[in-house]
Amino acid sequence: MIELKNIEKTYRRGVENVRALRGVNLTIDAGELMAIVGPSGAGKTTLLHILGCLDQPTNGDVVFDGVNTASMPESQLVKIRREKIGFVFQQFYLIPGLSVFDNIALPLLFSKKPAQRKKIEQLAEMVGLEHRLNHAPAQLSGGEMQRTAIARGLVNDPAILLADEPTGNLDTENSEKIFAILRRLSDEGLTTIMITHNPELAARAERTVKIRDGLICP
Amino acid sequence: MTSYVKLAAKNILRHRTRSLLTMLGIAASVGVLFAVLSFNKGFTEGLAVELERTGLHFMIVPSGCAHEVAALVLHGAVIPKFLDTGVMEHVEQTAGIDLATPILVAQLPDQQRGKIDLIYGIEMNVLEAIKPGWEITGTIPRHEHEVLLGYEVAQHDNLKPGDHFSSPAEGVDLVVSGIVGYSGSQDDAFVYLPIQSAQNLLGYPQSATAIGVKVDDPTRIGAITESLTSSVPGIQIVTMGEVMNSVSNLAAAARALSLAIVLIAILISAVGVMNSILMAVFERTQEIGMMRAVGASRWDIFRIILSETTILALVGGVVGIVLSTLGARLIETFVRSVMPFVPSGDLIRFEPIVALGSVAFIFVIGLCAGIYPAVKASKINPVEAIKG
Ligand SMILES: Nc1ncnc2c1ncn2[C@@H]1O[C@H](COP(=O)(O)OP(=O)(O)OP(=O)(O)O)[C@@H](O)[C@H]1O
Ligand SMILES: [Mg+2]
Repeated sequence: MIELKNIEKTYRRGVENVRALRGVNLTIDAGELMAIVGPSGAGKTTLLHILGCLDQPTNGDVVFDGVNTASMPESQLVKIRREKIGFVFQQFYLIPGLSVFDNIALPLLFSKKPAQRKKIEQLAEMVGLEHRLNHAPAQLSGGEMQRTAIARGLVNDPAILLADEPTGNLDTENSEKIFAILRRLSDEGLTTIMITHNPELAARAERTVKIRDGLICP
Repeated sequence: MTSYVKLAAKNILRHRTRSLLTMLGIAASVGVLFAVLSFNKGFTEGLAVELERTGLHFMIVPSGCAHEVAALVLHGAVIPKFLDTGVMEHVEQTAGIDLATPILVAQLPDQQRGKIDLIYGIEMNVLEAIKPGWEITGTIPRHEHEVLLGYEVAQHDNLKPGDHFSSPAEGVDLVVSGIVGYSGSQDDAFVYLPIQSAQNLLGYPQSATAIGVKVDDPTRIGAITESLTSSVPGIQIVTMGEVMNSVSNLAAAARALSLAIVLIAILISAVGVMNSILMAVFERTQEIGMMRAVGASRWDIFRIILSETTILALVGGVVGIVLSTLGARLIETFVRSVMPFVPSGDLIRFEPIVALGSVAFIFVIGLCAGIYPAVKASKINPVEAIKG
């Protein structure tokens, strides 16, 4: 479904070049649950952002459903993000002024689709928040915030869900709940990629990819 | 979530105090803008009505006193030079004149009572004709020794018709024949006397401050004033049209100045709006990065931020106009206290066109104030923003 060929990413920091990715080759199959692990600064987030068409590689090809997105302009990348990609972040990034319902529906504003009440309710039910739809994010627990963010990531019916340390700010119990949701999604056919520092969770993924110094370890 | 406007509004509500203060700045400046614009309309219309009500077409004054005429016509100022009433004969002989009256206005200090009376001498039948709106308790003076008092004068001395009006001039005994009802204008401050009594009392026999003239055919004013100035030496003629012009010119100048100040105030409050939203953009960098990741384009972000400044400006503008309309009487009181002449009646009326124009103007200002923060926001790099 997605093929990364010899991906390199170099950042400039002042006069020095930081090689965040140094030739990554990776094939992701539809419906798989993949965990990305590796030490801090290894390049995991950089890889995820390139997969999610949020960032572009300095070199190499990203073939997404047969289309090379590596050198697409931002105007086309944003369309791919709307149609095919769901993002979940460690810090949730919910909008404080909006209810859970409106936070889940937010991406529909950008994809210019109407927010159908039924659909949002179904998503909320899937993550166990059907009773929280009218609450403000400040009234939620951390686990509930992250589940809201997952529902938001799913609202555009993406082909792939990308989660960057989704359990990084949560306790074990809530981490388990989040992982259970991701696993269920992948069982239902959604391609799910999760960066994690939690070896226990990583071990329970279908596949674990280890990154070190910008390269995938064999 | 259905629109950028709703999202922008919710964002504004996240900083209630900051947004409220910013909005009040806009409200104040737009409120004043609206008042200044509506004021001018009410002013010119009120002025025309007021001049119409004098029932006179022009005034004859000693040459060199043209500027004082406007003040005399409108609120009875004292002119230092006098006309000889001999001029009246010339005037009465001139063809096309319907009515002419000498008017004598002067101050009369009264040491006993510790005040200064403003004496207004005029032919009593003319007074009746040019002030048809007056409600008089008692009668207009019919005899030489009768006076008509303005409302304030009567109040001050606690006088009623039939009372004795003490006069500083020796041997002159005056009786109050009537009192003019409250008008709220300068009319309240005068003591009205038949012209001859005024001349005797003041010690200026045969003198007048001005001669008020009404013609038969207003279209012939030009010809009549020309023939008068050429046949009578030492006079100057000021028509009501000229008075209207000089007073409106004064008002227009005052208005231009206030408009300039108001525009600066609006500019300053627009900078406030820009600053407020710019702060909000910096505070929400991560959130903007998130929105880009979940499908917002640069243009989407640009529009959200632009909506925020526009909403702030629009709400502020509408609040300002509403407050200005509600507080119109208050503003009028202020204007009356600083302007040399202000017509009676409502000066500030709610004019839908002016209101709409002001709203449209502040809308554009809100858009402009949004451009810089919106460009800043749309240039936020999502990858860097999300890292935090
Ligand atoms: N915008 C940037 N500018 C300069 N250097 C960057 C930038 N983003 C990332 N880097 C560098 O690239 C390298 C990889 O960063 P990345 O965020 O992908 O690591 P990571 O594996 O996600 O680490 P962590 O587990 O701490 O999140 C790091 O050395 C980082 O400092
Ligand atoms: Mg990372």
